[in-house]
Amino acid sequence: MSAFDRPRFLRVFVAVFFVFLFAPIALVILFSFNSSRSLQQFDGFSMRWYETFFESESLRDSLIASIEIALVTMLIATVLGTMLAYGLVRARTRWSDTANVLMLVPLVTPEIVAGASALLLFTQVGLELSLTTIIVAHITFSISYVTVVVRARLAALGRQVEDASMDLGATRWQTFRLVTLPALWPAIIAAGLLCFALSFDDFVLSFFTTGESPQPLPVRIWTEIRFGVRPTINAIGSFMLVISILSIGLALLLPRLLGRRESGLKVLLGREAA
Amino acid sequence: MNENRFATAFLVPGGLWLLVLFVVPVCLVLALSFGYTDDLGEAIYSTRLDNYERLVDPDYLPVLFRSVGFALAAVVLCLLIGYPVAYYIAVFGGRWKNVLIALVVLPFFVNYLIRTYAWIAMLGDDGLVNGVLDSSIRFINTPWAVIGGLVYGFLAFMILPIYAALDRMDPALIEAGKDLYGSPWETFRHVTWPHTFQGVLAGSVLVFLPAVGDFVAASLLGGPEEVMVGNLIQQQFQASDNWPFGAALTIAMMAFLLIWMSLYLRAAARETKEARA
Repeated sequence: MSAFDRPRFLRVFVAVFFVFLFAPIALVILFSFNSSRSLQQFDGFSMRWYETFFESESLRDSLIASIEIALVTMLIATVLGTMLAYGLVRARTRWSDTANVLMLVPLVTPEIVAGASALLLFTQVGLELSLTTIIVAHITFSISYVTVVVRARLAALGRQVEDASMDLGATRWQTFRLVTLPALWPAIIAAGLLCFALSFDDFVLSFFTTGESPQPLPVRIWTEIRFGVRPTINAIGSFMLVISILSIGLALLLPRLLGRRESGLKVLLGREAA
Repeated sequence: MNENRFATAFLVPGGLWLLVLFVVPVCLVLALSFGYTDDLGEAIYSTRLDNYERLVDPDYLPVLFRSVGFALAAVVLCLLIGYPVAYYIAVFGGRWKNVLIALVVLPFFVNYLIRTYAWIAMLGDDGLVNGVLDSSIRFINTPWAVIGGLVYGFLAFMILPIYAALDRMDPALIEAGKDLYGSPWETFRHVTWPHTFQGVLAGSVLVFLPAVGDFVAASLLGGPEEVMVGNLIQQQFQASDNWPFGAALTIAMMAFLLIWMSLYLRAAARETKEARA
């Protein structure tokens, strides 16, 4: 029980907030099934905009490119970010505190700065813009997310279990592989899926580092929107939402399915109990 | 093997990656900001200050001020909307807490472009609202449309840290405030607000930083009068192809944002220290 009564205006305020939060998204989803081009009037259910989306070869290529980028980003960023987290928490050097803070910088740097500087680097070393350049830019920005999530879990874990393993004669590497890593799995998986969702949805970094074709889906959406409101965008947007929700849903549920009691939300927010 | 050396080895791949692909590129941008473009449009590194002088040009200075103004307005609105919502969920959410906070986060996994586009579909000159009302109210291409787009885009960054701070707070403190005859308002002002101020600060910075650098909201929801620094940077690197000037704009923006970033990083440093202690 809370100390004060639930003020009614606060309840109304929160209700109105949720309506405004979801109304535009609901509109996009609803009108993705509209049988006419109109965005003002719903003329009946149809799948025609989804058909337009999937029948267009170049849009299909873009979808595949987006998924490919997100998958590779997820894999590499998760490995690098997890290693970084382990090093940051367990290594004690003069620079530990500084490094722990500096690795947050990519998280708070506006994406346009990252995009422009990545573009400049690629041009300077003569790398042709392609899916690879997008992936490299995405990884750079995903590492920090992984590190933050995994680091919180590792700090909460304490070192007693690792010490016990060493006392029982395991080497450092065995301890890492057989004790530390299994305990970190929920956080690693959650962080990886978060990276997937972020990379799949990313527009700014991709926009600066994309080649001619295939371009990832968000870049295509940008081009389409500049031509005005088009019903196909509703279908693309709704479909992307499904993929994002799947990956975030997995990020929230998998830790539980792995037999841990804490919720995935807490793992992602890095606030679970030890 | 010594534990320290074993753990330090883990820092190498990620650290190198960030050094080569984050630190080096930003340094390149800094170096190019003193350069110029030659007659062929080629970007040349140099030691000129021309690009920075151009920043105070009456063509560009208002854009810089506008970006900060729009971003500040977005921060204030996010706080006014986000605090009550975070408060309600943390204090009155009960067993729905996790569901409600997940609902707050959910829309932010709809692509940012699609979310912005949804507002055009709704409020555009021939959008849903004008269609239903049979009116021709001008919502889009106004400063408030851009600020609204920024608020809708980054609101979760405000709500999450405030919610985390409220959630960490001991409810007994509010109880104590009430027992000591504090009114709800007094209790809020003297107990709840100070306890959540760090969260408010973190949220404000997390909204402000991406809002200043944003170019999507201004491109899609604003007209020529609502151009922000992000739009200028994007134009220099793409359409107008003046990379040195784009680099100077980027560096100027980053320098300004570093003040705010350091505020946030200092708070984060304190937290990691506490966590490790």
